[in-house]
Amino acid sequence: MAEKLVPVVCPWCSVGCRFYAVSVNGYIRRIEFDYDHPTVNRGKLCPKGVASYQFINSPNRLKKPLKRVGEKGEGKFEEISWSEAYRIIAEKIKEIKEAYGPEAIAFLGSEKITLEENYLVHKLSKAIGTNHLDFPGRYCQYSNSPARTVVFGSAPATNPFEDVAKAELIVIWGHNPAETAPVFFGQYIEKALDNGAEMVVIDPRATRGHKYASMHLKPYPGTDLAIALAMLNVVISEELYDREFVQERTTGFEELKEAVKDYTPEWAEKISGVPAEDIRKVARLIATKRTALLVNEGMNQHVNGFEMAVALANLIAITGNIGKEGVWSGVFPGAQCGFCAAMSGIAPNKLPTGKLVTDEAARAELERLWGFKIPDWVGFDLTTMIREAGNKIKMMYIIAGNIAKSAPNSNWVREQLKKLDFLVVQDIFLTETAKYADIVLPAAAWFEKTGTAISAERRVQRTYKAAEPPGEAKPDWLIIVELAKELGLGEYFKYEHPDEILREINSVIPVFKGATPEYLAEHPEGCFFPCTEPGEGTKVLFKNGFKTADGKAHLQPVKWREPPEMPDEEYPLWLTNFREVGHWHTLTMTGESPSLEKRWPEEYVMINPKDAEKYGIRSGDLVKVETRRGSVLVRAEVTEHVREGVIAMPWHWNVNFLTLDVIHEKTKMAELKAVAARVVKVEE
Amino acid sequence: MSKKIFLDYKRCIGCRACEVACEMTHGEARIKVFEFPDLFTVPFNCRHCEKAPCLNVCPTGALFRDEDGAVAFDPLKCIGCLMCAVACPFGVPKLDEENKIMDKCDLCADRRAEGKLPACVSACPTEALKFGEINEILWDREGRVVANLKGSAEKGEGGKAYIVL
Repeated sequence: MAEKLVPVVCPWCSVGCRFYAVSVNGYIRRIEFDYDHPTVNRGKLCPKGVASYQFINSPNRLKKPLKRVGEKGEGKFEEISWSEAYRIIAEKIKEIKEAYGPEAIAFLGSEKITLEENYLVHKLSKAIGTNHLDFPGRYCQYSNSPARTVVFGSAPATNPFEDVAKAELIVIWGHNPAETAPVFFGQYIEKALDNGAEMVVIDPRATRGHKYASMHLKPYPGTDLAIALAMLNVVISEELYDREFVQERTTGFEELKEAVKDYTPEWAEKISGVPAEDIRKVARLIATKRTALLVNEGMNQHVNGFEMAVALANLIAITGNIGKEGVWSGVFPGAQCGFCAAMSGIAPNKLPTGKLVTDEAARAELERLWGFKIPDWVGFDLTTMIREAGNKIKMMYIIAGNIAKSAPNSNWVREQLKKLDFLVVQDIFLTETAKYADIVLPAAAWFEKTGTAISAERRVQRTYKAAEPPGEAKPDWLIIVELAKELGLGEYFKYEHPDEILREINSVIPVFKGATPEYLAEHPEGCFFPCTEPGEGTKVLFKNGFKTADGKAHLQPVKWREPPEMPDEEYPLWLTNFREVGHWHTLTMTGESPSLEKRWPEEYVMINPKDAEKYGIRSGDLVKVETRRGSVLVRAEVTEHVREGVIAMPWHWNVNFLTLDVIHEKTKMAELKAVAARVVKVEE
Repeated sequence: MSKKIFLDYKRCIGCRACEVACEMTHGEARIKVFEFPDLFTVPFNCRHCEKAPCLNVCPTGALFRDEDGAVAFDPLKCIGCLMCAVACPFGVPKLDEENKIMDKCDLCADRRAEGKLPACVSACPTEALKFGEINEILWDREGRVVANLKGSAEKGEGGKAYIVL
């Protein structure tokens, strides 16, 4: 019973921490810290990392394929064999294709499965003939990502984490890395503070890192855009911008200057509730210091998040905080493999090569590599798939995604899921979403397979199989390979090991050309993509030019855009939500981790003492939080840590019963962070 | 020579990785993060006192000082009399009701024997928990404070020295 130390990448956030899964006879007994390699985490782990072996061993893991026998959503299933499950799915796919065409079928990839597996999901969807392909990351980085693509030609982080420690100013805006990425906070942000950096926090809540901040700006949720516009106004009108950089490396400055000329800090104060003088001070700091601008869901998860992200990209460009060492900006995915889905082109309009499905030459090139015809039309984004369920979309195939909880307006989502003719869910637990499935396929969990992960600093790393899956569960890549065979597509899916899939990725996706299985095995610390040759990675982006056609940053004129729903007489409070350090996403895995579950046991609502007094609410009271979509019952926590006029709930439980399914016309981002709500005390 | 876990509490963000790491190693967390209403957090474990009252009152010799200076614990000798808990000024030793003996931090004796850091220190993402020769840690801390004072004085920002500690 010798213990085996298997090197793995952490299965939660996107910092990319490494450690060992300690395996005994194919069973994970515990984890051990990796102080042996030059890892990003320097051995350190957060509570989720330390507890990450627990959900793997949960007795509630799915062990056999399931066929629904009860009503949709009821959760009644019978166990069936793999061969029967494959036969039913293949028959249904054929039936739906014949009746409605392949465009009635939609696939979801996932931020929780490996790069290799996302690549295969993508390939299978195209082999079946549909471009309705997306992943729950649609609700994550899809404001910042498209915005930075427009301005800089590329979305990922510009610099490695080590550059955060070299910055002079840390701006934490709508981000809570002390809870969502504690190792990043401790090993890089606190190191910057050690080196004398100043920190500014912009958030309606006091987050755990805010004790280090010299200033804390507290905007109403969804009004951050007003502040960003006012900062542009200050930097331009006070002529604090980097003249040389603007002249040599950007276009569109005059249009931007014109667009923001009326957005004074006084104007922004009226909208956001943040004192004009504070906005001026922070704008001046950003313009004069080497800045790491750390933004996340507080900026992303709004319908006006795209405009906000464009405004910030403009601000980063005109202050010259990009294309050099000691600065940091970029997308910061919530999951260890957000980039695995994004960079394998899991989107309704993309090819895995990063090119568009409408690009005929790019399609032809991929058709030559893959050997089959690729559809040329742009598919639906995730929210549109849900909206079209039962109408244009008859079947969904969801891998490792819990949209019944993570998509906006959960009541609506669940009703829509019922309208599908056929739903397949492939996951490690019977999630809320899986309860609506016709067939549920049991998947292997993260430590039960070998594969590739990509961190927020673009670090491509390999994680290795440390345990056997429970019962008959299989790795997602193998399920896809076997299903493809059943569908008569076996000739395109001849893979026996994830290494073979990665080698194909090396030849298909140019930015991963050098991330070979052999190189990553020899270098546990991985490489930074674009890694075009083994051993060559790109640590700092845009040192010489941007990824746009002319190599310049394209400054975009941007206007104020109101959130789709604002507080009114009926629903007088802003409702926003946040994450807890001990939980992750929709609790599917942390809810099965006893050490986490017992420390972070339930949801609650934060309410400012002034609002609490108005509604006669005291800490511990049971209250009903209500919006136009639904209501949830929770305990109240009366606290100064949320500003007056705003209530806040952790999002892992039921907050999406309250959010809004309105989406941005371009990015398709929904309103997941700022809605109008009311709160009433419930008599017990 | 005395090895201790030193608490640089200003670095703590209250993530409770130390608690979970301890629980993973010992079944029950022997370190606990206390949180104040202003989000100020303090992880607290056995102080391994130099003049440990618990050690003096233990009637069976279950508590002993090991070679690193930790107040370690032999579960086979413990009779669960609670004398250590009575004597401890911090309330650190707890009763393990299942095994009818006391339970306390031993600075991860098993991990130290393998050349590893105590689990809570291994995990701590912010280095709020440090393990080593206590006076070396303190000299290092004093050196950094003085360096910061000098740097800040040169920049004419004396007050800042307190922020960066």
